[in-house]
Amino acid sequence: MNILLAIVLTGIGTYAMRAVFLLTVSTRPFPPRALKMLEYVAPAVMGALVISMLIDGSGAIQMGSPELAGLVTAALLAARTRNHILALAAAMSVFWLLRFL
Amino acid sequence: MSNVAIAPVRRGILSSIPLFIPAIPFAFVFGVVVAEANIPAFLGWSSSPIIFGGAAQITLLTLMGEGASVAAAVTAALIVGARHLLYSATMAPRFRDQPRWFHWVGAYMLIDQVFALTVLEKDMSARDFRHYYLSAGITFWLLWMSFTALGLVVGPVIPETWQLGFATPVLFMGLLAVSIDRWQKAAAALVAMVAMALLADLPNRLGIILAALIAIAVGMFLERLRP
Repeated sequence: MNILLAIVLTGIGTYAMRAVFLLTVSTRPFPPRALKMLEYVAPAVMGALVISMLIDGSGAIQMGSPELAGLVTAALLAARTRNHILALAAAMSVFWLLRFL
Repeated sequence: MSNVAIAPVRRGILSSIPLFIPAIPFAFVFGVVVAEANIPAFLGWSSSPIIFGGAAQITLLTLMGEGASVAAAVTAALIVGARHLLYSATMAPRFRDQPRWFHWVGAYMLIDQVFALTVLEKDMSARDFRHYYLSAGITFWLLWMSFTALGLVVGPVIPETWQLGFATPVLFMGLLAVSIDRWQKAAAALVAMVAMALLADLPNRLGIILAALIAIAVGMFLERLRP
């Protein structure tokens, strides 16, 4: 039930963020400082999430050379090509190769 | 259908399909995340119609699977989705001459791709814009519902030795990389990573929220320095 609650709360919050300015039909421009802050959400939260997703059950970070090489491959390819499918395929291949060698 | 202009509808549908392709890996990673978290498939899938946002869904269910509290997981997922505030504010002028019902329905469909497709359409009549927006939104909705369902079928079948759990940080690393257009953002991302590593022991994955807030603050500070 906790999971359903979390899904519904995230759904309500996401809808509210999408709706707030459409429903109020705001004509005020977005404050520049808030705009700047929003620009930093993606690098900040994605950076934190990438590391948190490598934390195992005991609280240690699982970051050996296969993980590091995979993440660097993903970052470089995504930045250069903007192609997430290519970046994912290449990063997973590097990761598998280094793991099973 | 006599009231519906065919051309904007056809354009909305046809331009959505190629734009959906980059979202496909998210649908499959979503399936793996739900399977690894031992969340029942239908419950996991319900997040597709309820949230309708891939990165927020993956974040939420990954964290719930790791045993985070509801408050921590929802907060992290909403921070991931905070860019929708910007979409809403940018799109608002285009909704001024639209009927009220469309404000409510359009908000639900204001995902990354619909925003990208419609935000530059300034010359369409209000009616054509509405039909274009709705046909793109409905196309993405149908595709996302189908592909996340497919991901949930495929996810549990993939052998554990493939270590597909690693695909989630890889995808998010890709999102991180495309968001960086100046050195201050790269620095903020590094700060977030280091802070998360240092805060890894905090319960409920609270470290994610703290690390993200620290990194945003550092980024805002660096913005004041010379470029």
